[in-house]
Amino acid sequence: MNELQLIPLLPFIILAMASVVTILLIAFRLSHTVIQVTGFLMMCLVVFATWYVRDTLPEEVPPLFIVDGQAALFTGVIIFCVLVIGLFSYIYFEEREENPKEYYILLFLATLGAAILTISQHFISLFIGLELLSVSLYALIAYLRNRNNAVEAGMKYLVLAALSSAFLLFGMALIYMEAGSMKFSGIAEKLPQVSSSPLFLMGLGTIVVAIGFKLALVPFHLWAADVYQGSPTPVTAFIATISKIGTFAVLLRFAQTIHLQQYPLIIAIFSVIAISSMIVGNILALRQQNLKRLLAYSSIAHFGYLLVAFLPGNEAGTEAAAFYLIAYSITLLSAFGVITLLSSREHEAETLDIYTGLIWRRPVVATILAISLFSLAGIPLTAGFLAKFFVLSAGVQQAVWLPLAVLILTSVIGLYYYLRVINTLFGTSGTADVMQKTVHPFFHVSTYITLVVLAGMLFWIGVFPGLVLQGIRLFLLLH
Amino acid sequence: MFTDTVLLSATTPFSYFPIVLQLCAALGFVGLTMFATHFLGPKRKTSDKLVTFESGIEQKGNARQPVAIKYFLTAILFVLFDVEVIFFYPYAVNFRELGWDGFLAMLLFVAFFLGGFFYILKKGALKWED
Amino acid sequence: MILIWMLCILLAGGILCWLAAQRQPLLARWIALITVSADLLIACWLFPVYQAFPDNSSWFINYQANWIPALGVSFHVALDGFSHILLLLTYFLGILAVLCSWKEVRERTGFYFFNLLWTLAGISGVFIAMDLFLFYFCWEIMLIPMFLLIILWGDVRRHYAAYKFFLFTQAGSLLMLLAILALYFIHGQQTGNYTFDYFALLQTALTPSTAMWTMLGFLIAFVIKLPAVPFHNWLPDAHGEAPTAGSLLLAGLLLKTGAYGIIRFVLPIFPQAAADIAPWMILIGVAGIIYGALLAFSQTDLKRLIAYTSVSHMGFVLVGVFSFSSIAMQGVVMQILTHGLSTGALFLMAGMLKERLHTRDITKMGGLWTSMPRLGGMAILLTMASAGLPALGNFIAEFFILLGTFSNNPVLSIIATLGLILSAVYSLRMMQKVFMGPLISTVPVVDLSARELIILTALSISIVVLGLFPQPVIDTVHHLSTIHPLLHE
Repeated sequence: MNELQLIPLLPFIILAMASVVTILLIAFRLSHTVIQVTGFLMMCLVVFATWYVRDTLPEEVPPLFIVDGQAALFTGVIIFCVLVIGLFSYIYFEEREENPKEYYILLFLATLGAAILTISQHFISLFIGLELLSVSLYALIAYLRNRNNAVEAGMKYLVLAALSSAFLLFGMALIYMEAGSMKFSGIAEKLPQVSSSPLFLMGLGTIVVAIGFKLALVPFHLWAADVYQGSPTPVTAFIATISKIGTFAVLLRFAQTIHLQQYPLIIAIFSVIAISSMIVGNILALRQQNLKRLLAYSSIAHFGYLLVAFLPGNEAGTEAAAFYLIAYSITLLSAFGVITLLSSREHEAETLDIYTGLIWRRPVVATILAISLFSLAGIPLTAGFLAKFFVLSAGVQQAVWLPLAVLILTSVIGLYYYLRVINTLFGTSGTADVMQKTVHPFFHVSTYITLVVLAGMLFWIGVFPGLVLQGIRLFLLLH
Repeated sequence: MFTDTVLLSATTPFSYFPIVLQLCAALGFVGLTMFATHFLGPKRKTSDKLVTFESGIEQKGNARQPVAIKYFLTAILFVLFDVEVIFFYPYAVNFRELGWDGFLAMLLFVAFFLGGFFYILKKGALKWED
Repeated sequence: MILIWMLCILLAGGILCWLAAQRQPLLARWIALITVSADLLIACWLFPVYQAFPDNSSWFINYQANWIPALGVSFHVALDGFSHILLLLTYFLGILAVLCSWKEVRERTGFYFFNLLWTLAGISGVFIAMDLFLFYFCWEIMLIPMFLLIILWGDVRRHYAAYKFFLFTQAGSLLMLLAILALYFIHGQQTGNYTFDYFALLQTALTPSTAMWTMLGFLIAFVIKLPAVPFHNWLPDAHGEAPTAGSLLLAGLLLKTGAYGIIRFVLPIFPQAAADIAPWMILIGVAGIIYGALLAFSQTDLKRLIAYTSVSHMGFVLVGVFSFSSIAMQGVVMQILTHGLSTGALFLMAGMLKERLHTRDITKMGGLWTSMPRLGGMAILLTMASAGLPALGNFIAEFFILLGTFSNNPVLSIIATLGLILSAVYSLRMMQKVFMGPLISTVPVVDLSARELIILTALSISIVVLGLFPQPVIDTVHHLSTIHPLLHE
């Protein structure tokens, strides 16, 4: 290892520096606004650094990391999400009594964890990334520690995530015992000898449990609704987007390196998980009266859809998955952005009756929420439709008919609850108006503008996906 | 005799002889000092002195007593820094092989370390009196 | 290019309506009216272009632009005689839909007209799209605004009706999406050219079993929309609960997209599979004719009654399409047009009655002729048209269909003829219950206003004209027999 190899790691180093800088800023007692702006600038710096190192890609940093196009793509999406979430966090925490400053340290650390997952090619870095992510999330989820739900959610996540980490470690140990390597490519080399050994398969199985937990796939989904509901809304957005993108990225790399999809058993396991996630997620969401819980169950279903793109294990599947994650993140960010914007100091805007007739009271915000729900439902003109379209086409190409049939059936079920929310938005009996916030005009306006831009992006990607698609292909070629 | 290569190689039971010697010395020192203090020091027995030492906390009674958070804070910070010091050990062992690169890495590590310490100090986590 | 302008005018007009209504609610309806009229004018202006075209049989406007080249998706729109007629119908009914909502819609007018115009845009897109991706896109776009129209401005049970409508059609269209993708990949693997273009996909060679499964994907979507009998469940609810303009668009245009899809996609792309399944589809069609008519007879809700007559009439379309004779095909096109006009007119009447009496229950009506002679007169003409009286458009349509079907399936076509008798029965019952007999309602009613009179007169005139001079319409669809090898003269 030499200094040249560090250059592709520059974005990640800056990302790590962001939390250290935040610590020092807090030590010097600078205000929330300063921390927010600095964090924003640091994240922009990460983006520039990624741009700066683009010519050196792909570059392996043995033994732990590999920075290639795929990693850059997912890291880019992660950074984009954290930029938006950071912005939402300002108005959200500024209104609450808790000290918001340490929040940013944890936020950046968790982001770093997710980013490390995207570049890891070794069990050690996988574990470090996953733990950085989880441990920061324990604290982030329970950050508003005076709320009952938050503590409950934090405890649930802590216990279950710790358990899943134990599973992960155990699986790694088993695989290491059989294959004699912790590097993905090293395992791939030994694969012909060990692929039928029961211990190796058991190791894979326990790793699937841990990954399934992070992605909230059925049957490891039990935490999702409570944690989504109990967390502060920006943190919910974080769990729904960044945490899952990172985990999915490392799953994708692992599967690509050891050609996971060539084993009928593994395909069968993932098919069952995908099918049950789609069914359970959509059915449980049907009767939810709480928007955050509804989105939690819908995200379970959405990662079931995503697994359908993952099943074929071909180029089209990877492309579809990347597109899906991009569309999905933008959609969810705008939905959670609206929830953040409408939440007041006393109440999270999470029960559906708050949204009754919102379109007549606050047309812009309600339209954005409606667009993001349409996108989640996969209606044309929005990015969600094309995302689902690519997933379907990846599935059709490899003729995985059963999951596809389930995907279609469950999307129709899913439509029902998205339409229910949309119907609520257009309802007549409006409750008392939500308090207008004028406390932080600049951040309020910029959040507003961000939301409009996000909704615009949903439309733009939904109608002209060419540019995004080209970008994804370009990135995926760098490997 | 002890420089003999046969004795230094780890394959014979005899190579554990130095450890036995050290064990004897250690046990002997403990025994000797306990024995010696028994005779040398003056003795004044009070009830306070005879109870088990528990760092100043009541050793009997209800365990669910409120304890000032300061204790825990200090304890956890102590553990944190203590554990981080462990990272010096592999560096010290490989001091020569790692060279200047290792030194720089360690310097960076210490800098982060100090940053954290500075944060703690500024937050007033180590301030004992309110 | 002109076709794209037609779409853009509608889409932009919709947004403009929404924005304008923020300041001046009355402005929205004028904008809507002007927008749709402009499109109708363009569509009429295309008529001479079409006539001037040498063999007046094929695609006289064809525009293609890149959209998502990475996937082989292009923005390909084209127009032949069949599509042109459907476009004319779309804009004609579109104007009527705007006019009939003139007074009916009082709240959120801007958003209402936005949805109306976007539905129209989606429907016109369906009729001109020659790229299967674009087709699916438009197919979906017409659904959402329609859903909102029903759920926001509908009647008491609007929520139930709107969800049912949406879920039924969406289930079908997702199956169609799967079938489109299967076709896309089969064609791509055969030729190496991955494209969604209609004309390229026409050349796909399919094994019989693949063709059957893929065709079923398309067919189920279209048959749900049409609707044919086992899938007709959504229709009475949706038609019954929708606002008047919504019912008009549903019956007059949305159902026609199903018929259009079968003629445009199912028959040419899967000729053999379609021929294999034809006896079953004719059976379903005949079942629809009889079943729809029987149910229509037993309804007490005026709008549901008319909705069930649609099921019955659309059965004729299914029978005609799958009898593979060119006479029946001409009948089908006539049926699509005249059913759109006559059923649309009946829904308008139902809307006008409801506006006055605040009920759709025909047991609470009766003896209205005395107070509303003008409406009564119109009603008798339109009901007779719907029942298939000679000299009116529907007669020609159903006659042609039965004539074409008789040669290859005499038994079923005789049973289908029963449908004509039944249609006379339910139509007369409806007339008798609503306009004849003792006056039941105590609400003082006024007869048609000038606006309403214009609407109904326009519809009546066009039905009579179609009944007397069907030749121009029949001419425009001559070429449909050439696109399908199994059709014989």
